[in-house]
Amino acid sequence: MTARPVPGNSKDPLLLQVWKGRTGYLMLVPTMVLLGVFMYYPAFLGLYRSLFDWAPGLDADFVGLGNFVKLFTTDKVFQQSMGNMLQLSLWYVLSTVFVSLFVAILLHRMISQRLKYLYRFLAILPVIIPGIVLLMLWKFIYDATVGPLNMLLIALGLEEWTRAWLANPNTALYAVMLRNFPWVDGVAILILLAGLQVIPQEIIESARIDGANNWRILRSVEFPLITGQIKLLTVLTIMWGVQEFTAVFAMTQGGPINKTMVPGMWMFWNAFRINKMGYAAAIGVILFVLTLILTLINMKYITTQEY
Amino acid sequence: MAAATVTSERQFRIHDFWRAVVLTVLCGLQLLPLLMAFFISFKTIPQFSRVPFLPTLPLHWENYLSAWEIVRLFLFNTVFVSGLTVVGVLALGSLAAYSFAILRYPGREFLFYLVLALMMVPATLTLIPSFVLVKNLQLLNTRWSLILPWIASGQVFAIFILRTYLQSLPGELFDAARIDGASEWQGYFMIALPMSKSMLGVAAILNILGTWNNLIWPALTISHLERQTLTPGLWSYQVENFTRYGFLMAGLLIGSVPLIVLFFFTSRWFVEGLTSGAIKV
Repeated sequence: MTARPVPGNSKDPLLLQVWKGRTGYLMLVPTMVLLGVFMYYPAFLGLYRSLFDWAPGLDADFVGLGNFVKLFTTDKVFQQSMGNMLQLSLWYVLSTVFVSLFVAILLHRMISQRLKYLYRFLAILPVIIPGIVLLMLWKFIYDATVGPLNMLLIALGLEEWTRAWLANPNTALYAVMLRNFPWVDGVAILILLAGLQVIPQEIIESARIDGANNWRILRSVEFPLITGQIKLLTVLTIMWGVQEFTAVFAMTQGGPINKTMVPGMWMFWNAFRINKMGYAAAIGVILFVLTLILTLINMKYITTQEY
Repeated sequence: MAAATVTSERQFRIHDFWRAVVLTVLCGLQLLPLLMAFFISFKTIPQFSRVPFLPTLPLHWENYLSAWEIVRLFLFNTVFVSGLTVVGVLALGSLAAYSFAILRYPGREFLFYLVLALMMVPATLTLIPSFVLVKNLQLLNTRWSLILPWIASGQVFAIFILRTYLQSLPGELFDAARIDGASEWQGYFMIALPMSKSMLGVAAILNILGTWNNLIWPALTISHLERQTLTPGLWSYQVENFTRYGFLMAGLLIGSVPLIVLFFFTSRWFVEGLTSGAIKV
């Protein structure tokens, strides 16, 4: 750290330091006010309210950890929703990492810069299509009577395979899971591509002089050097998968018979359809704790590789 | 030697060719639903039942006209809400990031961790209490019920990446200005802001994408359809018009245009910012 002629010399008494740094505090005021009102207050209220049996307009009854006990012992829908969330998250991680890695490597190996630029643009394009548009298009693709998926199966002579993909309890979860085929994720690709591009060229050159082919370079040089990015993607995707319920909300609302229910959707349902606010807040707390654990794992184990 | 170079160049071209084929197939399949939507958007219902997924003539542009009548309101609302939000996020976020990165005062690290800790608080934890709060503040069905919470939550990530970026600038820049008698405010307006244009761009685009795509919160707080934003608006539009396929697809495509336009003008920033390595853990 270099000595800087900054206001607030550390030898000054504390109050004088505070006074000299007043502009710094002043600049934080609007941020802190908004964070206090719209982030910290609701977050603590959520933790607090999860201990109550509470509906808007009625008195709240303190039930301690009762909501949590009920969720984990008697609430079959919640338990099913956790299982669904696990399957969805696992799939999101696998598809994101493998497809993005494959595309990022192809892009990185592109010799022609013009082609590389073009395909990088094409890969990032789906990111800027509003998510709701893609969800609605996939809902349409899965439609029983006019959906292209069933039309394709009929055209292939597989008429007995056709079904109402999102309304059939056996296929609904997988239909939600496998939407957006072939799962080209532009942001994940850019993160991996960034990792590949900062690997010093000398390392690749010396491996090549030692007789390594492209595949060997990938396996023994590039892959180990981007494990940081891969781990980052994995954790971000799991954290997203734990909380995500926009897709379920837009496509199935958790049905049929809770086959696509996820914890976020079940929380929404309890809070705003049957007014069990305290119970719903407890689900929110469980998702928070899960996220917190994942963040701590992230901070402890994920370090970027040094060269 | 020359012959060898020619061979390897040709090999490169052949390899690039196969890479291009694979990428074309992947990106093509990814974008196929949009192509489908584009074809269907020009069809009447009888045309759709005759030839569902290939173009048919005549093209029915009026699908777009009637969809525009409904979607334009959602579009205007979204541009207004996302626009004000992103201005707020950039203003507050850059100011706080400058304070955290450049200025010195007691408790600075503690205050920064107070902000950073919120990155671990998921929207699911705050969803219900935020709704109750907004209701108690009498903000339901107003645009403020979207803008204020979105500025509050959006600035956290902006502060994080802008602070990292400002810290990577040479400190002498700010020291020199200070010696010349510049105030902290001048340092912010005349040095920090102009130097972090590209990072501000990245923060802005990510923020706009986030608010633009939010379905749950506006669906919860806005019940007057004339104040609804695009994402929940298109969702209810879809529920009502699911069988008017041409009209439905036209509406979905109209709703996609503004972000595509935005991206065309800013993609360079966006891609460079994301691949620059400035966003890391």
